[in-house]
Amino acid sequence: MKILTCVKYVPDAGDEVGFDSDLRLGRTGPSSKLSELDEYAVEQALRLKATMDDATVTVLSVGPADAEVALRKALQMGADEAVLISDGAIAGSDVFGTAAVLIAAAKHLDEVGLVMCGMSSTDAGVGALPALLADALGWPLLSNAAEVSVEDGQARIVRTDEVGTRVVTAAPPAVVSVTDQSGEPRYPSFKDVLAAKKKSVTTLGLAEVGVSADLVGAGAARVQVTAVVRNPERAAGRVIVDVDGSSVDDIVEFLAAATK
Amino acid sequence: MKLLLFVVAIAVTVAVAVTLAAVALFVRGALTLYRRIAAGAPSPGRLGPVGPRLGAMITEILSHRRFSARPLVRVAHWVVMVSFILLVPTLAIAYVQVLAPDAELPLVGGWVVWQWLLELFSVGGLLAIVTLFVVRLRHRSDPDDAAAARDWRSRFFGSTRWQAYFVEAVIAVVLVCVLVMHTLRSAALARYPETAADGGWAHYPLTFWAGQLFWNLSPAALDAGISTAAALKIITSMIWLGVVGYATTMSVAWHRFLGVVNVYARRERDGRPALGAATPMLVDGKPFDIRDIDDLDEDATFGIGSIDEFGWKGLLDFASCTECGRCQDLCPAWNTGKPLSPKLVTLALRDQAAGGAHTGDVFAALRSSGVQPAGAAEAGLVPTVINPDALWACTTCGACTDQCPVDIEHVDHLINLRRHEVMVKSDFPEEFGSLYGNLDTKGNPWGLPPRQRFDWAKGLEFEVPVLGVDVTSAAEVDYVLWVGCSGAYDEKGKKTTRAFAELLHLAGVRFAVLGEAETCCGDSARRTGNEATYQGLAVQNIETMAEFGVTKVVASCAHCLNTVGREYAQLGASYTVEHHTQVLNRLIREGRLNPVAPPEEERVAITYHDPCYLGRHNGETSAPRELLAAVAAAPVVEMEHHGTQSMCCGAGGGRMWAEESLGTRINAARMDEAVATGAATVATACPFCSIMLGDAAAGRDAAPAVTDVAHLVLAGVKRGLDNPTQPKTED
Ligand code: SF4
Ligand code: SF4
Repeated sequence: MKILTCVKYVPDAGDEVGFDSDLRLGRTGPSSKLSELDEYAVEQALRLKATMDDATVTVLSVGPADAEVALRKALQMGADEAVLISDGAIAGSDVFGTAAVLIAAAKHLDEVGLVMCGMSSTDAGVGALPALLADALGWPLLSNAAEVSVEDGQARIVRTDEVGTRVVTAAPPAVVSVTDQSGEPRYPSFKDVLAAKKKSVTTLGLAEVGVSADLVGAGAARVQVTAVVRNPERAAGRVIVDVDGSSVDDIVEFLAAATK
Repeated sequence: MKLLLFVVAIAVTVAVAVTLAAVALFVRGALTLYRRIAAGAPSPGRLGPVGPRLGAMITEILSHRRFSARPLVRVAHWVVMVSFILLVPTLAIAYVQVLAPDAELPLVGGWVVWQWLLELFSVGGLLAIVTLFVVRLRHRSDPDDAAAARDWRSRFFGSTRWQAYFVEAVIAVVLVCVLVMHTLRSAALARYPETAADGGWAHYPLTFWAGQLFWNLSPAALDAGISTAAALKIITSMIWLGVVGYATTMSVAWHRFLGVVNVYARRERDGRPALGAATPMLVDGKPFDIRDIDDLDEDATFGIGSIDEFGWKGLLDFASCTECGRCQDLCPAWNTGKPLSPKLVTLALRDQAAGGAHTGDVFAALRSSGVQPAGAAEAGLVPTVINPDALWACTTCGACTDQCPVDIEHVDHLINLRRHEVMVKSDFPEEFGSLYGNLDTKGNPWGLPPRQRFDWAKGLEFEVPVLGVDVTSAAEVDYVLWVGCSGAYDEKGKKTTRAFAELLHLAGVRFAVLGEAETCCGDSARRTGNEATYQGLAVQNIETMAEFGVTKVVASCAHCLNTVGREYAQLGASYTVEHHTQVLNRLIREGRLNPVAPPEEERVAITYHDPCYLGRHNGETSAPRELLAAVAAAPVVEMEHHGTQSMCCGAGGGRMWAEESLGTRINAARMDEAVATGAATVATACPFCSIMLGDAAAGRDAAPAVTDVAHLVLAGVKRGLDNPTQPKTED
C-alpha cells in the first residue's frame, strides 16, 4: 500500500512574512521550508509504514521548483519517494486549485491506500484541503487525528476535541489528517540524510497528471485576497513589582477587569 | 640444623612453584590485555613523537601534578610509587637470598646511597600505604548497603573494595619483609667486629636500631629469618602477580603498567588534559569533514556504538582506571543525583571490553545508581551498557578529565557515544530535536529570525561597524567582536554584549562585528553529538570570516571562545580568539580603561563562578579575578569549588536546552555554594552561566545578584568618568 503524504513548502512562520504587490505571500523570504504541521503527517506516515508489511511512503507537493527543499526534508526523514507537481500555470492558485492538482496526482499514482495531510497549512491556514481531497476522491475522511494506526485492514484514528475522545475507523482507501498532538516529528539521523541523497524527486507538469490549466492559477481562484492588514504591535503589558504584598489589590483589580 | 635446612628447602620449592605459576598467569593476562587493546580502532597520532611524549609522561608521573588538589594523597602515592620501582631489583635478589641470606645486589648492594634510599622508601612506603588505606577506609562505602546505595559522598563508591585492600596489603607485607630482612641483616653484620662497620647505622640508618634486639640470636637463626622473609616477600609478590594476571579487569593494579602507557599516549602532547576542543569524529580512521560529504562511504558509521569501535587509546583508558573516583567526586551530574558517574561509565566500558562480567561492587553500584539499566541485553552500548539518562546527563564540564590521574578522556568518549546516538540512531532527548531544527534552519538555538541577530546594538550611543557593510576588511579593526547567540538574542546576554561593546568603545578599541552574517558557533550541536549540524554552522562561519580576512576575535561567551578558537582549527581555520575578560584586563593594564572601585560604604563581597569552558577547558582563571580585584578593591571570596576545580552551572554539553528532571538541579547546588560565601554578588563570565545562576537565584528569597564581569567593569569605568579626580585604583 502506498501512503501518499501531501506536504506544503511554506515561508517560515517564525520569520517576518512579506507580501507581494498582488497581495500574495512573498516567496522571496530567506527561509521557506517544509510546513511544520505537515512534518507531523510525514512522521505519522513513517510510523504507520513501520507497522505494516508492504507500505511505502510517497510525499507529494504542489509548488514552485524550490519546493523540492520540502520534499528533500521528507525524504531525509525516511519517505521512499517524492513527487513535485510544478507548473507556471499553478501560481496564484487557491485551496481549490491546489486540491484539484493533488486529486489528479493521487489518481495518477498507483495503489494509494491512504492520503495523509497535516491539519492545516502554516501560511494560508485554510485547513480545508483534507476534506476537499476526500470529497473529490470519494473516500472517507479521518480528520484531526491525534493517533493513527492501521489494524486488520482498518484505518483507525483517535481524535480529541472539546467534547471528548472519539475513535473513528474506515477501510482504506481513506484520507487522514493529523494534528500537532500526534507525536513529535523525527530529526533525521545523518545516516538518513546520506541515504536521502540517493533518492530522487520526480517533477511532473500539469499535463502529465492530466489537469487542465483552467482549473488552477489566480484566474481560477475562488478566494480573492482583497486586503492585507498587519496586526498592531502588541502594547507592552503592565508590570507589577511587589515584594511585601502591598499590591494585592492592584492584582485583584486587574484580574477582575480582565475576566469581566 | 636439619630443621633449618628443611625450612629453607620448603621455602625454595614454594617460592619457585609460586613464581612459575604467577609469571605464567601474568604473561597470559598481559597478552590478553594487549590483544584486547590492540583490537581497537586506530587512534592516530598517539604513539609519536616519542621525545615530547616521553618528556610529558615523565614530568607528569614524577611531579604527580594531577594530584594537586589532594596534597596528602599526592605525597603518599608518590612515595609508594617510588618504593615499588626501587623494590623490583630487591625482589630479584630475594631469590638468591632464600639460599644465601648474605647475598647483595650486584653493583649497588652495600652502597650507602642505595641502602639509605631503600630504607627511607621502605619505611616511607609503609607509612604511605597505611595513610592511603586510612583514606580509603574513611571514604568507605558499600554499594550493597541499601541505605547508602546512592552514597555519592564517597569517591570510592563502586570501586572494587577487595582488590584495593588486597593491593594495599601486598605492598604493606612486602615492605615489612624488606624491613625485617634489613633488620636481621644489620644484626648479622653489626655484632661481629670485622663486619660491624658494614652493619652499622651508616648502612642501615633506620633498621640498625631494631637490629640490636636480635644480636643475641645465632647466625644460623638470623640467616633462617632472612631466608624466610625473602621467601615470604617472593610469595606475596607472586600472589599479587598471579592474581593480577588472572584478573585482567583489576585495573587498580594494572594501572601501574597501563597508566604509564596511557599517560604517554595522552591526547595533548604538551601535558594538558584532554579538554578544550572535542576530539574530531573519525570515520574510517580519518576526521569527518562535512565538505567531503560526497566521498563518504555508503555504510560509513558515525561516533561509537559498540565497544570495538573505540580506538585502542579508549580501550587503554578503560583498562587503566585506578578506580580512585576523583572524577566521580567532582562530577556535577553525579553530585546532584543523576545516574552519571564518569568512573562507573569507565568501569562499565572496561568490563564490557573484557566480556561484560563485573565485580560485585561494580555491579551493585552500576545497578543501584542506574548507570546501567537492568534491561535485557541487546546490541550496542546504549542503552545496554550505558543508561541513556547517564549519557545525556553529562554537561561536558571536564572536571572528570581534569582530575583523572591517568589521563582518561571521559568527555571525548561521552561525546563519541552521543554522536552515534544522534547521527546513526537519531535517538536523543526530545528537546534536542527542536534545538537541531532551529540550528539547521535559523542558525540559533532559539529559532529566532537571523535578521534579529544584530538587534542587540539598537539604541547604543555609538556606531557598531558591521563587516561587509561599514567596513570592508577585518584588517581595518583591532578585533572582530564575536557576539554569539546568547549575546545576540538572550536579554541578559544582549546587555552583556552592550556593556562590553561600550567598554571597547570607551577604550578606543577599533572593532567590528559580523552582524547578521554570524551564525551559531555550533557548540551545543557538537557537544550533544550532532557533528553534522556543528560542522554545517562552523563551515558557514569560517567562510564568512575568510571573506573579511578575520584573524583576531574577542568573544564574551566561553563556549564561543572554545569553539571558534580551538575547534575551527580542526576544520582548517585559524584565529586568535580571546575572551572579553582577557581583553578587558589588558585594556586596564594599558591604562585605556580606568575603573574606580565603589566608595567604601557601597562595597560588597563578590564571588566568582568559573565557567567550565573558560577555566578548565581554556585555562583562564586569573584574568576575571584580576578584573574583579581591580573594580571591587578587594579579592573575590571563593566558593568551595573554584578555579580548575570549579563546579558547572549545568548548561554545558547542550544541557542548556534540555529539562533537568533527574535528581536535584545543578544550578541550585552551585547557588548554594555561592550563598555560603556570604557574597552579595556572583560574577561570572559566560552567558550560559549567567542564565543558569540567574534562574537559580530567582528561585530563592535572599540570593546574591548574578552578573557578568563586564557589567562590574563598566560600572567602575563610569564611576571613574563621573569623578575624574578620584584615584584610579584604591590601595
Ligand atoms: S564532564 Fe562533567 S558532567 Fe560530564 S562526566 Fe565529566 S564531570 Fe561529569
Ligand atoms: S577514570 Fe580516572 S579519575 Fe576516574 S576513577 Fe578512573 S582513574 Fe580515577
